[in-house]
Amino acid sequence: MIKQEVHSGIEFYQKKVKKRKLGASLEFITAQLSWQFSGAISCVALLSAYNIITNALNRMALIISILFLIQFAIQYFVTTKISKEITSELGEVTSKTRKLGLLLIPFVLLGNFFMFLSGFMLIQKDKTIEYNLSVYSLLTSIFILLISAMNLFKDSVVETFALGMGIYGAYAIINLVTLIACSKWIQNGRINRKLLFFAILGLVGIITGNVFSFLMGLIILAKYFNKNSETSIEWIDVIRRLFKNYMSCIGMFIIVFLISVSIASLLTFDYDIATLNNYMALLQPPSLMYPFGTDELGRCVFTRIVFGARISLLVGLVSTTIPIVIGGILGAISGYYGRNTDNIIMRLLDILYAVPGILLAIAIIAAFGVSTMNLILALSIGGIPSYARTVRATVMSLASQEFVEAAKACGAKDGTIIFKHIIPNSLAPVIVRATLGIGSAVLSTSSLSFLGLGVESHVPEWGNILKAGSTYLETNPYIAIFPGLAIITIVLSFNYFGDGLRDALDPKLK
Amino acid sequence: MNFKKLLSVFLIGGLSVVVGGCSNETENTITDNVASSLPAIRILGMSSSEMDLNILADQLKKAGFNVELNVQPDYSSFSTIQDTGEWDLSLTGWTTVTGNPDYAVRDIFASTGAYNSQLLNDPKVDMLIDQAATETPQVYKKTYTDLENYLVNEQAYFIPLYSSLRMQGVNNSLMEPTMRQPKSRSSVWEEYTYIDTALNETRPFIMTQTSATLTSLDPIQANDGSINQLSSNINTRIISLTDEDVVEAKGSLSYNFAIAQGNKEYYFLLKDNVNFSKVEDKKAVDTGVRVGAEDVVFTLNRAKDKDSVPLHKTYGLHLHMDEISIVTDLNELNTTITADTGVPILETLTNGLNVSVTALTDDKTQADNNNGVYQVVKVTTLNPFPQVLNYLAHQSAGIVSEEQVTLLNSKFDVENYDATKDVGYGDFNAIKSGDNHLWMSGPYALTYVNDYEVAFQKNPVYMPETEHEPRIKDIVIKFIKDTTSANSAFRSGEIDFLSTVDVNHATLLDAEEQFTVMKRSSNAVSYAVFNLAEGNLFTDVNLRKAALYAVEQQPFIKVKNDLVNPAFSTLSTIIDTGNVHISDLEKSAEYLSKYFAE
Repeated sequence: MIKQEVHSGIEFYQKKVKKRKLGASLEFITAQLSWQFSGAISCVALLSAYNIITNALNRMALIISILFLIQFAIQYFVTTKISKEITSELGEVTSKTRKLGLLLIPFVLLGNFFMFLSGFMLIQKDKTIEYNLSVYSLLTSIFILLISAMNLFKDSVVETFALGMGIYGAYAIINLVTLIACSKWIQNGRINRKLLFFAILGLVGIITGNVFSFLMGLIILAKYFNKNSETSIEWIDVIRRLFKNYMSCIGMFIIVFLISVSIASLLTFDYDIATLNNYMALLQPPSLMYPFGTDELGRCVFTRIVFGARISLLVGLVSTTIPIVIGGILGAISGYYGRNTDNIIMRLLDILYAVPGILLAIAIIAAFGVSTMNLILALSIGGIPSYARTVRATVMSLASQEFVEAAKACGAKDGTIIFKHIIPNSLAPVIVRATLGIGSAVLSTSSLSFLGLGVESHVPEWGNILKAGSTYLETNPYIAIFPGLAIITIVLSFNYFGDGLRDALDPKLK
Repeated sequence: MNFKKLLSVFLIGGLSVVVGGCSNETENTITDNVASSLPAIRILGMSSSEMDLNILADQLKKAGFNVELNVQPDYSSFSTIQDTGEWDLSLTGWTTVTGNPDYAVRDIFASTGAYNSQLLNDPKVDMLIDQAATETPQVYKKTYTDLENYLVNEQAYFIPLYSSLRMQGVNNSLMEPTMRQPKSRSSVWEEYTYIDTALNETRPFIMTQTSATLTSLDPIQANDGSINQLSSNINTRIISLTDEDVVEAKGSLSYNFAIAQGNKEYYFLLKDNVNFSKVEDKKAVDTGVRVGAEDVVFTLNRAKDKDSVPLHKTYGLHLHMDEISIVTDLNELNTTITADTGVPILETLTNGLNVSVTALTDDKTQADNNNGVYQVVKVTTLNPFPQVLNYLAHQSAGIVSEEQVTLLNSKFDVENYDATKDVGYGDFNAIKSGDNHLWMSGPYALTYVNDYEVAFQKNPVYMPETEHEPRIKDIVIKFIKDTTSANSAFRSGEIDFLSTVDVNHATLLDAEEQFTVMKRSSNAVSYAVFNLAEGNLFTDVNLRKAALYAVEQQPFIKVKNDLVNPAFSTLSTIIDTGNVHISDLEKSAEYLSKYFAE
């Protein structure tokens, strides 16, 4: 009896150790999510391939299902191999298995970015932050090329298409070279001088919206000019911690990808397909030419969603920035001065807080009319009190700290103390709040558009597309499903990213 | 080494995509047109017709115009903007509810028209409208064709878009989908019956309408969708329309009607089997007061008097009448000759009657049709105007009780009427709060109305034991604001009859066995008018034509699942003029260059 108990105790302990080992391995986490994703897509595609009522077989869905089933099989095989090796005596993935990563990468061409990430995580043993960033940067570029390439199935492409594809193709190659360079020329955290050239190329990438390559360039430069002593740079640390959380990386990737695609669509997508009606192609089901089908006026839903990302992000970002600035200043003032100043400002903001945000937005839009500017204004005003409260709380706790007293003793003016000492130190909670806020702002934009109170109805905006689709929910559900998925994805991405950011910024979790 | 392989794979892949992009044909966006140098055309419309606005704007854009949309959420804000004149092109519609061509053009195109929002003021248009009004159908066809040609082909005062169908949904497990579907007039409730006739007495029949605010239940104080159907069924008239808009006596208060030579005098032989009903305890009861010639004279006199009530909304329909009187001299009917047949009026009036006319009376209590005592009403018009009959068939000519209306409306002065405290006959708010003062001559009596529904019960003495006696005892109309919810309510069985089926729902309903969508042409026409007020862009005829020829009707029809018909003007649904609108981008460009050449 006792022997048995001891035995099961050991088993339990071993299980825990195994679990911890696997959980700490980025190779395993990425591989696991990848096979789960492939399997799920395969199942969904299979279910939608067969119509129970009409007995019809959707060939495209079936092909997709089979393709993802293959990916699932490969990935599952690789994952079990990784898992076995990690839990074995050796305790790490062998270089033979690492080479299997090469097999996974090309599947990105089918849109499976989980497999791509899994492949790159598997290939490289020492994953520096620069390596991670260049992988994501390459992934962003490839995805933009893929999405833009969908336009090749259309009757015609926009004039600047070849130019756009050329630029992005070239940039993808640069990304790949940078990736290789990063894996070769960073030894034990020391930056090789040759990398500086790539760092500058990475910084230039911000023009395309590629935040990853920009960050990579920044980190390389910062490290190099800081004499390669990375421990002294706080923000690099934050980013490194952020990249330890795989879900928040995925969130960040989707956000960066949407930003990039909003910029890329200027060159590679035809705005006319999204806004001009095509009476020859009304309510077409999804096909290669119209990946998400067409709406009741013959406009390509896929193109409309791509252009919709621009508005959603713009409104989301601007209507979060405005209340941060206004609310932040008000919160800082009332938190720093306290007493009557605090009372007056906060009581006024409390009144604003008492009005439901969405009702306030509806009232403002009803009064000033439907337009994107008014929408941003309406969403911004409702957000001020919550940011003011967040900042005020942080400032109050900071105001009594020694470094503030020291500044006061040195004779610094109040303005200097607030803006130079207090605000920079109270940014972390605001940043976290803001990332979550952008998600809800995107949601509010779409809700208001759905109610006919957001942006003008002909503008391709996700809420608008969803509204048009709601009429055809029974006959042509895809018109509503895809914009709905887009909204869910972006909000989820911001939430995961915000979550990861909070953990990364939390000093206790260092 | 691995990376080198990888690099080559991506290089090849990337290059092939780029090359593919180059080889694909590139597209020139909208051809640069001189029109783009014009200021943007401000298109005004309502959100309910968002799709039409979109298509209209899209076509003008494709022709090279700059377009700016102004979408208003409801009719009142739409008409406010329309009144300010801050628009160039306004998407609007017109339904000729009386079924006659005069009504289809006078109010919207004549310089004096009450709904002439574009400020069209053209003496030739006025002249043609007035001329056609005096003519008989055989003659006016040509005049109206001329008018249509002038309005659209010559002057391009508006862009015709389409005419809608009348589509109604029936739950065919309850009712045969064979009920009357008139082109212009409202539904004929007294003919509705359940398949299981036993239900007629016990089960309320539930219909729906969008507007929960009824303008007024005084027939002459309103002429809109909120009361049209209700008023038509609670007040009878002295003449009626067939489903194809031909005037007939059947189903009205008259046995027969006759037009005297000269087209200025009209005679009606009245029935004596209709009593006014009133409501007690939410139930329809008989007042014991007969609907007679005195009430008809009273009704029509107040209809043609601009100042008979505050907010008289239908004066324009009745101003053609001169004198309304009760005929007591049987000789007059023998000596006057009917216009088209040449027989004496009396013969036309008594055609098909069981008991011949022996005496005429001017006292409705003395009328006794079984013993040959009848009442005859004579209406004369200021000018020869045969279409007056259509106006008499309109709900605004519904017969009201002289004593009840006088009782209520004598309590205040029309000139100093104050809507906040004075209660006139048919006041919606008073009726809603429980003060149901209506005396109703129609097949049904309005029993109560609240925020959710309006209820009706059959008039106990309405042509009893004839084919016109109402079958179903109780009818309820639920207020459901949007068509999608109404459609869902209908599909879930919450309502029995859908008065208007949206084009998007028709196919869905048709696919279900339980429901039938009845479709027929109607007199509702959608079109877009140019703002002709001084100083506006479209005061120039060439520019109007450039826009007119840029718009094609086929896309509207296609997007609406072929459930609308092409139209050339508001007359298209009433008279076959043979005109068809054909868009032509070349012509459009031609007129545009003409415009710039000026």
